[in-house]
Amino acid sequence: MTIIGSLPPISTPGLAPGAPALTPSLPSPSREITPGANKPFAAMFDQAISSVETRQAEAAAITKEVLLGNNPNLHQSVIAMQEASLSFSLMVEVRNKVVQSYQELMRMPV
Amino acid sequence: MELISGIAATTGALSAQRTRLDIIAQNIANAHTTRGPDGKAYQRRTVSFEAELLGASSGTVGLSTVRVAQIQIDKTPGQRINDPGHPDADEEGMVTMPNVNLSMEMVDLITASRAYEANLSVAKNARQMALKTLQIGR
Repeated sequence: MTIIGSLPPISTPGLAPGAPALTPSLPSPSREITPGANKPFAAMFDQAISSVETRQAEAAAITKEVLLGNNPNLHQSVIAMQEASLSFSLMVEVRNKVVQSYQELMRMPV
Repeated sequence: MELISGIAATTGALSAQRTRLDIIAQNIANAHTTRGPDGKAYQRRTVSFEAELLGASSGTVGLSTVRVAQIQIDKTPGQRINDPGHPDADEEGMVTMPNVNLSMEMVDLITASRAYEANLSVAKNARQMALKTLQIGR
């Protein structure tokens, strides 16, 4: 009983990102916010995605400048692209972990 | 946030070495130029570098990168050859050639090229380290 009782506060931050998209009808059980994170995970992840997008846009802009001949530094373009690619990989990694934890929860026998 | 560590220092170094390569290219291209904008023979340029402190962001030490400090003009006199038919010859038929020594320029070229390559290796390794870090989650 104590184990199950202790589950909701732990699983709430992890469940939050998947919950709105996958089960929209599910009402959020408690808007209790842990002291460490003052905003939900979904908002944080959304911000991370937009920062990845910004990086990709920056890389595209630098590459365009190099191709147009305005910027002679080819390495800046390649490095920007690598950074964009790496941040995208990090984002995918985080998403995989979130999906994995969601599936783990769904497999849990009740 | 810097995802690939130390990439800012490497970027500066790559830019600096590229400038050096440009200057060497200019020297080699003008190895036989006997008349510049000032009417005299071309004088070879040399590049010097200086350290530039990067702002320390959270969790990193303050790294210094490199930038081109200045491009000096080599003042050593060029070789004078006797060629009375040359349009730039003086009254005695002597022409001042540029003070560019091709063998020196080639050595500089190889040094710059290798330095650029070394910095590329740093960038490549830093990227691989970051990718390997992502493998922790697997």
